Amino acid sequence: MANLLWLQGGACSGNTMSFLNAEEPSACDLVTDFGINILWHPSLGMELGDNLQRLLRACVSGEIPLDIFVFEGTVVRGPDGTGAWNRFAGRPMKDWVAELAQAAQYVVAIGDCATWGGIPATAPNPTDSTGLQFLKRQKGGFLGADFRSKAGLPVINIPGCPAHPDWVTQILVAVATGRAADIRLDDFQRPKTFFASFTQTGCTRNMHFAYKVSATEFGQRKGCLFYDLGCRGPMTHSPCNRILWNRQSSKTRSGMPCLGCTEPEFPFFDLAPGTVFKTQTVMGVPKDLPEGVDKTGYIKLTVAAKAAAPKWAEEDIFVV
Amino acid sequence: MGEEAVRRRIQELLAGGLATEVCPRADTPESVQGLIQRLREEAGEDLEARLVLAGFTLNPVLHGGIEQACETCMYYLVHRRWCELPELNLPVEPRWSCRLWRI
Ligand code: SF4
Ligand code: SF4
Ligand code: SF4
Repeated sequence: MANLLWLQGGACSGNTMSFLNAEEPSACDLVTDFGINILWHPSLGMELGDNLQRLLRACVSGEIPLDIFVFEGTVVRGPDGTGAWNRFAGRPMKDWVAELAQAAQYVVAIGDCATWGGIPATAPNPTDSTGLQFLKRQKGGFLGADFRSKAGLPVINIPGCPAHPDWVTQILVAVATGRAADIRLDDFQRPKTFFASFTQTGCTRNMHFAYKVSATEFGQRKGCLFYDLGCRGPMTHSPCNRILWNRQSSKTRSGMPCLGCTEPEFPFFDLAPGTVFKTQTVMGVPKDLPEGVDKTGYIKLTVAAKAAAPKWAEEDIFVV
Repeated sequence: MGEEAVRRRIQELLAGGLATEVCPRADTPESVQGLIQRLREEAGEDLEARLVLAGFTLNPVLHGGIEQACETCMYYLVHRRWCELPELNLPVEPRWSCRLWRI
């Protein structure tokens, strides 16, 4: 049995919503099949008031062994470093987070807010919000760059706005069933099993990406969303086209550009106001190129692809 | 007028000395948006106005070390020889160019 505690800081509850919709495995499977004991969760916890405080104190003291501490939302430090703008169970949430992170075997940050600050930490960051171990791209965050949980791992970051439900439950199962050592993390402490590939990996529009055929409107079935509509699929690390949303589809499959929500720069990526969903160009060349491709390479590739494009690539192959 | 006839008409206009706004090129997102806006509001369906505003030329323009030709442009349909930028939507030739070129 692995004890799991889930708390929520500066957040919209989107990751909780996502988690409750998990399918492989589902939130119920965690309890019935994988031996996870959910001590408390903002939407599922039964304890309130003094009882909840007692439970949390017991986790901090070790009286109740805390195997997995899950945090959703930012750590709110304002005003003036007091954390008073996010009080929970009788004290600033940040104080609970500091103590529970030290007590836990594993700490898992769910969603952009908990991983690197997300929307609340976007400048001017009025609540002085931060992620657990990153603030945007900068390592450190609330717990500090050197933080290691009792099991010796840094915070396991599962980003996304929100994170896909199955990314969450699959990592929780791996940890709870003693396979945490198998989880390899990238430089941003994201599990590589999900975040080494790109949103573009498995996108149904790859043929049109290859032949440089552009979709110019949302929902259009023909064309790739990179060239006009600002799709960040080629430079965003996510498995959104490998592990589909609702087991059905993904943003890009349905004609909506990837916003890059699993990357620390989300949501703004230095975009000028009013330019979201518009590919930004500098002297006719996209400002953000597919990861690992430089300007010269991109131009060469595009020229060759255009020249080689078959006739069907220009036509609408999606007939009813 | 059919596609081929329009293509010939553009060729004649440009070869006949139609003065188009070749520069400045649309180098920034703002200048692209500004030009698109002008194409919508000032040119509409008027062929000559579209050619002038977009800065059409019969030869590629070398800009910032890159040859800007329709044939390498994102909006160019190779087989149809067509510019599918919605505000232009015109028959073109591979070696023509305009200042909205982008790759
Ligand atoms: S729509 Fe986006 S993810 Fe899909 S192929 Fe195009 S750039 Fe890649
Ligand atoms: S497609 Fe892009 S924006 Fe959408 S959930 Fe996946 S990573 Fe996030
Ligand atoms: S937008 Fe591109 S294809 Fe269209 S006329 Fe200009 S350079 Fe040619």
